[in-house]
Amino acid sequence: MRLGHVIGRVTLSKQDPAFRGARFLLVQPFASAQFAGAPMTPLAPGSSLVIYDNLGAGAGHIVGFTEGAEASVPFDQPTPVDAYNAAIIDELFYNPPSR
Amino acid sequence: MILARVDGVIVSTVCHPSMTGCRTIICQPVDESGRAEGAPVLALDPLSAGQHQRVLISTDGSAPRAYVRDPKSPLRNMILAIVDEPEKETA
Repeated sequence: MRLGHVIGRVTLSKQDPAFRGARFLLVQPFASAQFAGAPMTPLAPGSSLVIYDNLGAGAGHIVGFTEGAEASVPFDQPTPVDAYNAAIIDELFYNPPSR
Repeated sequence: MILARVDGVIVSTVCHPSMTGCRTIICQPVDESGRAEGAPVLALDPLSAGQHQRVLISTDGSAPRAYVRDPKSPLRNMILAIVDEPEKETA
């Protein structure tokens, strides 16, 4: 699982029926600096990605998302998802060693 | 499986039901000499690893699915072991 800032939302007209009732969020994954409290803008280096969300996260939230085969495990039928929002983060305590 | 250092902890109220009650920590992957490699990741921590301890993480989903007893859990990373002292071969 990785952490990321929600920076937007993707809306769909036609979609796989398995996606009904959920939304897709545009997420900028955290680099080390964001863990240490760097602001959301300018965006962290690295490309943003779209994640499936049924928890109700919105722009500005920090989310923990799963990638790869495990992203499609929560679905009842085989579903084409490769990033899944598993948690909306309330608080983050990050304290790397100083040396 | 990857070697990592415990660098923090997260708190989440709204999360997948399988994560409820499970400690989730921030782990910094490290190389054999302890240097950070890449961005930190989240991992389930059933062993209650301490701050800055070195741990072994499984990146396969089957371990956390068995631990939380939910075959539909999206979790992927889980602490399998706490490292005493990594042995290194000297040239």
